[in-house]
Amino acid sequence: MKQVRWKQIGSACILFGMLWACSGGGTDTPMPTNPTNQADSDRKAMLTNIADNIIVPAYANFKTKMDAMTTKSDAFAAKPDKASLADFRQAWVDAYTEWQKVELFDVGPAEQYTLRNFFNIYPANTTGIEEYIAAGSGSFDVPLSYPKQGFPALDYLINGLGSTDDAIVARYTTATDAAKRIAYLKRLTTQMNSVFSTVYTQWTTGGYRDTFINCTALNAGCSTGKLVNGYVLNYERYIRSGKIGIPSGAMTNGTVSPDKVEAYYKKDLALTLAKTAHQASVDFFNGKSVKTGQEGPGLKSYLNSLGAKDSQTGKSLVDIVNAQFDLVNQKLSVLKANLSDEVKTNNTAVTQVYTEMQKAVRMLKVDMTSAMSITITYTDNDGD
Amino acid sequence: MPAYFYKTTPAAPLALFRLLFGLMLFGSIVRFWGNGWIAELYEKPHYFFPFYGFEFVKPLGQYTCVLFAICGLSALLVAIGLFYRVAIITLFLSFTYIELIDKSTYLNHYYFVSMVCLLLMFLPAHAYFSVDAYRRRTLLADQIPAWCIDSLKLFVAILYVFAGLAKLNSDWILHAQPLRIWLPAHNDLPIIGFLFNYPWVPYVFSVFGCIYDLSIPFLLWNYATRPFAYVAVVVFHGLTALLFPIGMFPYIMIVTGLIFFSPAFHQRIINQIGNWFSASSQFLHPRRTYAYSPAVKTALLGTLTIFFTVQLLFPLRYLLYPGELFWTEQGYRFSWRVMLMEKAGYAQFTIKDQLGHQTIVNNSHFLTPLQEKMMSTQPDMLLQYAHLLRDYYAQHGFQHPEVYVDSYVALNGRLGKPLIDPNTNLANEEDSFKPKPWITPFHDTIYGL
Repeated sequence: MKQVRWKQIGSACILFGMLWACSGGGTDTPMPTNPTNQADSDRKAMLTNIADNIIVPAYANFKTKMDAMTTKSDAFAAKPDKASLADFRQAWVDAYTEWQKVELFDVGPAEQYTLRNFFNIYPANTTGIEEYIAAGSGSFDVPLSYPKQGFPALDYLINGLGSTDDAIVARYTTATDAAKRIAYLKRLTTQMNSVFSTVYTQWTTGGYRDTFINCTALNAGCSTGKLVNGYVLNYERYIRSGKIGIPSGAMTNGTVSPDKVEAYYKKDLALTLAKTAHQASVDFFNGKSVKTGQEGPGLKSYLNSLGAKDSQTGKSLVDIVNAQFDLVNQKLSVLKANLSDEVKTNNTAVTQVYTEMQKAVRMLKVDMTSAMSITITYTDNDGD
Repeated sequence: MPAYFYKTTPAAPLALFRLLFGLMLFGSIVRFWGNGWIAELYEKPHYFFPFYGFEFVKPLGQYTCVLFAICGLSALLVAIGLFYRVAIITLFLSFTYIELIDKSTYLNHYYFVSMVCLLLMFLPAHAYFSVDAYRRRTLLADQIPAWCIDSLKLFVAILYVFAGLAKLNSDWILHAQPLRIWLPAHNDLPIIGFLFNYPWVPYVFSVFGCIYDLSIPFLLWNYATRPFAYVAVVVFHGLTALLFPIGMFPYIMIVTGLIFFSPAFHQRIINQIGNWFSASSQFLHPRRTYAYSPAVKTALLGTLTIFFTVQLLFPLRYLLYPGELFWTEQGYRFSWRVMLMEKAGYAQFTIKDQLGHQTIVNNSHFLTPLQEKMMSTQPDMLLQYAHLLRDYYAQHGFQHPEVYVDSYVALNGRLGKPLIDPNTNLANEEDSFKPKPWITPFHDTIYGL
């Protein structure tokens, strides 16, 4: 009796299941039977485009500017005068601006060697720099040394040592520690070139490019996850917080910190750097080639291939994110070049940039990663 | 008492289950230890999220590994059936204690393991093919009451059916969420990967997953369908093991599924193992029945009745709460809701006080990435964290700190929305089983159970 009943239930279940499966198949019929854009969901193609048309050419461009800056730095060291200072300074501006287009690639060797730490930790520790200069030595590899090197340290040394160019040049010519100061410049550029070439050669001849494009899984250890984590981290902590949120006081109870802007001593560069970094993030999102300016496989095409959209309005996530990027650009466009002054005199406008960037952060960090099935794994313990 | 409760059945399935379950748990503990997760999850964090009502469960810091050692040892003792009663009670207590330390590590299969241990405390799993029975022949028996094995089967059936019922919702069936998000992430797998680019594939997986959960216990219970059903168990759980990072769960379910097989099947395996150890025929076939005294039997059956009543009602408690379950998660845990949501969030806390102090919290000062990820989407954890911040800042210069959160949560492909009312001072809210009015309404509808 009991067994019969179970058999009946069992058969009923199978029948029920089959009916259900069939009816499920029925509702599926109107669905497209081919993948709409299979090529775009191919992560290897995306990673290949990002490696060959974005990261490596961006590094190559940066290397050109770095080399030029090193040449001008050496020329200034050999013959410090107002002309060579102006040349050096311009080369520094060019290289610092170009840096903004590579800082976001926090993946592979750049992540392994913490490239950013050796190039752009600010505000510069001027006391520490002076100590290193006086001592004529000092490690560049410990965390405490990060604000004593890279572009912020150079900013201090070529823009912040005096109110006129004559005064600055005097520090490299007639001052008692002039020789030591010149030696420090040389140490800085040597260190920057050394760390950067370690990272860059891994991409060009070290085989990392192949490792990068072949690690297509979406777990935390593979390229896409690391790339996106680094990208979102850069946008959140180094663009939103570092360039805007902290100086403007938006993240610190309204306590304005004009001395914490990027390129503080140059005065008129911080906004350009912020705009450049932001545009680099936008271009990266859209998969824009650094070589041709054409869009290729990238986060945008990948998200579109997944059909990522706001299920309530039907608007695509890519359009929503790009609209938010546009809003940030609009808010940035009304600011004046000297961000250090702007946070004091035009604080509301700067805070509005922060507010719009904050919305973009949420979209990148929550909506985009969720749609891509990527886990945010970064944690970071800087001071903010 | 109905005749069913006097029926006996061979003890082999329960004995083999005890052996395999114990070994599997021992393996899990070793794996957990080997992966460095004890330090990662229980020693490294500064703060923990205890369960409501279990706040007395405290992390043990550097002694956590002792707890794991006790747990692993008792799992091994349970497997071989030595000092069984003490071992299974120790296993239940130590394993459950570990799981209660921190909500961030909650997994349904840990809850499953805890509940199976609880059941095994009351079952005579050591009566047959155990060291205890070898040492004390008065214990040895190859027949046990039928309800002893059936209660395990019933528990497994409850798990599957509730897991299946939970899938009967519009996100799962009509929108193939969250599989539509998760499957394309594996489109680079060899051989089957390309399938995940097709939009209809997640629908097929969703529908089959649901049918599987709802029917598998019955198909396993029924003799005629059992072999096919078990193949389905292996394929289904094997596939989930391949696709999702769910650790030991698939293997635990594959092993647990064996309990449905016939006594003869289990007896063959036990005889084989017995042969390796040159066990006597008298040990393998004692022809004795394990019997409870009437009083004990009544008490046990009463306990099991309470256990199953709770098991049947507890997953339904969500019906008592207003709002969308997936959004509020009020009544979500301990309900066999498995792999139902792709939920990601972001929570930025602001602390203020009347003196004009104000600061934005960097969550990584307090939480590990896993804790932050879990906290940012689960309202009760958001509240616990808010209280932690309140207490911390009260000791660091704030007077009666107020805690506000700017939260943003995306659920199953919907664009993110605030989860918590940004104007509620969470420092003043208390956790309870009552609905949480400071959760913002879910501006969408998910139909179904």
